[in-house]
Amino acid sequence: MYQANGEDIFVIDGHVHLWDASKENIKHEGGEQFIQCFYDYHTGFTPEDKQWSLDEYRKYGAERMVEDLFGNAAVDMGIFQPSYLTDFYDEGFNTIDQNGRLAEKYPERFINNGRFDPREGEDGLADLERQKEEYDIEGVKLYTAEWKGDSKGWRLDSEAAFEFLEKCSELGIDKIHAHKGPTIRPLNRDAFDVADVDDAASSFPELEFVVEHVGLPRLDDFCWIAAQEPNVYGGLAVAAPLAVHRPRKFGEIMGELLFWLGEDRLLFGSDYALWNPDWLVETVMDAELTDEQRDEYDVRLDIDTMKKIMGENAAELYDIDIEAKKREFRTDDISEQFGLGDHYGEPAAADD
Amino acid sequence: MSGRSTDDPAATAAATRREPTEAAVRDRLDRVTDPELDESIVALEYIDEIAIEGETVTVDFTLPTAWCSPAFAWMMATDARDEIETLESVDTATIRLHEHMHETEITEGVNQRQSFAETFPDADGGVAEIRATLDQKARLARQYEAINALTDAGLDPEQIVDLTEPDIELSDESAIVYVRNSAVAVAVSREPIAEYLQKARTVGLYREEEPVFRDPEGEPIDPERFAVVQKRARLASVNMSGQGNICDALNEARRAEDRPPLSELDH
Repeated sequence: MYQANGEDIFVIDGHVHLWDASKENIKHEGGEQFIQCFYDYHTGFTPEDKQWSLDEYRKYGAERMVEDLFGNAAVDMGIFQPSYLTDFYDEGFNTIDQNGRLAEKYPERFINNGRFDPREGEDGLADLERQKEEYDIEGVKLYTAEWKGDSKGWRLDSEAAFEFLEKCSELGIDKIHAHKGPTIRPLNRDAFDVADVDDAASSFPELEFVVEHVGLPRLDDFCWIAAQEPNVYGGLAVAAPLAVHRPRKFGEIMGELLFWLGEDRLLFGSDYALWNPDWLVETVMDAELTDEQRDEYDVRLDIDTMKKIMGENAAELYDIDIEAKKREFRTDDISEQFGLGDHYGEPAAADD
Repeated sequence: MSGRSTDDPAATAAATRREPTEAAVRDRLDRVTDPELDESIVALEYIDEIAIEGETVTVDFTLPTAWCSPAFAWMMATDARDEIETLESVDTATIRLHEHMHETEITEGVNQRQSFAETFPDADGGVAEIRATLDQKARLARQYEAINALTDAGLDPEQIVDLTEPDIELSDESAIVYVRNSAVAVAVSREPIAEYLQKARTVGLYREEEPVFRDPEGEPIDPERFAVVQKRARLASVNMSGQGNICDALNEARRAEDRPPLSELDH
């Protein structure tokens, strides 16, 4: 657990990947462009001494991922958000099955989300059922800007997408993480549009929609939609690392998010391995609003707010009992591997 | 023009017609904005080189990232071409985009005067709609600054939402705003007001005698909703400058010494 001013912060990283962009796995130039674009994001928003080489970045493997997330106890749990990109990568970029191998090794530490693509029709619906059966998924990650054959993307408010959302509802998959943020090759009219989330969210009030990357570069549209739809959340992946070199801008964006959504609907995510929580968690925890921003937005970024954003909100969403997890983590495999048992030890008096 | 002697009558005629100056070309380019950031491509330092040969101008430019939306790159390239060609002394402007994943298509398409759809048959739809969307966002972000200036000068919401163009007089330094049936004149700094009006006219927001300030949907502002409209305008402004920060960081990343070159894209 991250510690700040003597307080424990239980961190749930809401957005992690175990990806493979090795040259052997790339089958389309889009795959190479994709990882290179990611790498620019990585170096652009990572302190110099924490940057990886492009080769490390292509494929880092399960062992390293476990060490990066849990080794220095920056993160207590992680939520896998798969991105298939099977038009670009032979075996996919990170699929539920690739992520699942690691998630199944440490089921107490990971939540393994699935995905769907409405362009897959009946096969896609059948695969959604398979994902539920095999991994008992509670959530899906959707990538509406994904290429597939001649199609350069799809919309969440389309008839086909609604059919899949209905299936999700039926199967009890109630967390819908939609990637709405930076994308490469956004050839279609407006790949950054977030308006389709609005319609889906009001049509499926029983589902919770997490807009990953808070819609950047459409933060304005996202906030306005989220202000009106109570079942719309903001995932902070991509926004969070702005805290590194652009803390003022980070404060401004947090000010807007807290103003429009409040502190209960924001979820921290590193987007690992885009950024590494082993330094990002600390950077975000240290971030502050300027006096001017506090006045302008009339919001706080204090320890209670941060506890919610870093873990409690995700715990609420995924029915995670943080206190029970802490007890479990005193003796689990990860704690034994990294000597973290004491770290989750009994707090002095609070537990009686 | 080389090879002609100075007493050649044709050369003399060309000389009196004057070549465009680099300053004049730069001034035109300064009017072109990055549509996502609403900032001049000159101020953003996208321009690498301006070459002038007689009536032909060639501009080389590079965007912050190789992944910058092709539609945005297209808008900047065509706007630059069209702005330069408004100069009387220019016959043809050639625009060349560098270090972009679609540099060849965009450079060729723009200079062969093709449409976006002809250049990118894969793309679904043209650029007009997205340009309109981004113009609206830029308009709203500029409104935030303009209304802040007026509020700071002591105008109240009811006065601000009723302002029409005839109520506003722009001088070199300031904007004079008339309120209370022209009985009171208030001076504010020119820039936020002039920049707002320029963008509002571009998007055809209002007719003369209609209020110039609008809500995000383009409707006149209900004074009761003044505060929330201004908050949404602030949000538009934060979004644009936020994206500017991201582009900036990506630009630094790609220009880092040890960055693998894009030419390694050999798959």
